[in-house]
Amino acid sequence: MSEPSKIPESVRLAAEQQGLGRALKRFPDIVTAAAERGLKPLGEPPAGLSPLASPAPIFDPTRFESHK
Amino acid sequence: MTDLAYLSVAEGAALVRAKELSPVEWTRALLDRIAAVDASYNAFLVVTADEALAQARTAEAEIAKGQWRGPMHGVPYAAKDILDVAGMTTTCHSKLRKDHRSKADAFVIGKLREAGAVLLGKVALHEFATGGPAFDLPWPPARNPWNRDLHPGGSSSGSGAALAAGLAPAALGTDTGGSVRNPATCCGIVGLKPTYGAVSLGGVFPLTYSLDHVGPMTRTVEDNAILFHAIAGHDASDLTSAARTTPDCMTDLKAGLKGLRIGLVEHFYTKDAAADPNQVRAIEQAVAVLQRLGASVKTVQLSPLSLWTDCNRTIHQAESYAIHERDVQERPEDYADLTRKRLLPGAFVTASKYIRAQQLRAVLCREFTEAMRDLDAVVTLSSLLLPCRIDDPAAIAKTYDQQCRLVFNVTGTPAISVPTGRTADGVPLAMQIAGRAFSEPTVYRVAQAYCEAAGTCIGADPKTQPKLAAAARSAAE
Repeated sequence: MSEPSKIPESVRLAAEQQGLGRALKRFPDIVTAAAERGLKPLGEPPAGLSPLASPAPIFDPTRFESHK
Repeated sequence: MTDLAYLSVAEGAALVRAKELSPVEWTRALLDRIAAVDASYNAFLVVTADEALAQARTAEAEIAKGQWRGPMHGVPYAAKDILDVAGMTTTCHSKLRKDHRSKADAFVIGKLREAGAVLLGKVALHEFATGGPAFDLPWPPARNPWNRDLHPGGSSSGSGAALAAGLAPAALGTDTGGSVRNPATCCGIVGLKPTYGAVSLGGVFPLTYSLDHVGPMTRTVEDNAILFHAIAGHDASDLTSAARTTPDCMTDLKAGLKGLRIGLVEHFYTKDAAADPNQVRAIEQAVAVLQRLGASVKTVQLSPLSLWTDCNRTIHQAESYAIHERDVQERPEDYADLTRKRLLPGAFVTASKYIRAQQLRAVLCREFTEAMRDLDAVVTLSSLLLPCRIDDPAAIAKTYDQQCRLVFNVTGTPAISVPTGRTADGVPLAMQIAGRAFSEPTVYRVAQAYCEAAGTCIGADPKTQPKLAAAARSAAE
């Protein structure tokens, strides 16, 4: 288990901001590794992928018409 | 004497319909076997013996009166304990849900109840369908019937173990990044992840919202198609459910492969990642079988496996964390260590990264659709590696992403894992057959032709079945 002082300050701040104070206290190594994993950027996207592209799940208001 | 432990759904249903096999006898035989051997495999969390026998008696009485409901009537099955069954707990294999009791059936459970199927009980999973085979939960992890020391795959681990150990002929699983097909691969059975929306998610505890699927798990392809038909269909109360008729998977199931065009996505395991030579050899031999049966096979190129993995992982992390956020904040110690490790990264995924992953998903879906334009199906590996030891969390973490299954959760298109043989040590090997959206009939057709020709499925022949562990063997005797 990491000592509190060994936890990077950025991780500590991000974890506390996310309400993970309890997890950070009890499982500092897991939270530190999780931050690294979660913050890792996406891989190189295929050419032509623009920030203006539509995301996959597009809101469809007609879905609600048959919703019980 | 028919071996009721390894009787298939199709054969059993035919015998039941012809009144040559009593559903009560079939159910009792499986309940006895569960009682005798499951202590070695931990497949079942709860066995509902009395209810199962009551359902079997009802089925028998209805069939005697000529009221046959269909091919699941009187057929025993097991359900992953993430699916609600009215009046029963849905624990999700977690301490956090130990005392939860469901008020209503999940849509798929209701469909099987209407079909007259017999629920044997609820089976083990990885906690909340994520994490891994954990030893720090109220229930032990399911074990692999081919080798108790090996990971049975997950998260539908109990479903895979129950089928391979001859404890049920059919089971339900769920699949977000491969959780039906991984245990199918590791336990040498057949598991389908259907098209997104083909099978309702109503009454299923979610892992994610846009990657989850419910899928049938069986020992043969034909049985899988039968179970798929029984659970598929529109559910107006589920916004993700497709409002379309379930495609007929039975008519052309045994039509063979002549004239079919199959793509081989080889670069996933020859270029993008290192695969176990046993898996590669087995899929090469499987491709030769497909060609011999009359299919044309050509290699196809998709984006690198790592990009599909990143896309799936980001969506998975963000959506699953949204579900578990409050419990992770307030009682993180109540999750298994492996589950905490899987859930916590979602706390750090930014909204823009999640949206970018969904944009990437749209691009990858178009790419797959384009690749499928002149193909009927594609094949690729399921697991890149062989199952590791169940008690080695470092190896499990290392092998978690070493797979090609999550590709088809990203596309939402159907993919089935079928056995391609076993290693010299008896470890099951597998490949996937996938298709375009709602092309389950074609996926099943290819799977059926391959499995029939290759003879790789577990069946009545003891040589195709795992040898019971010593303790289970003496208990069974």
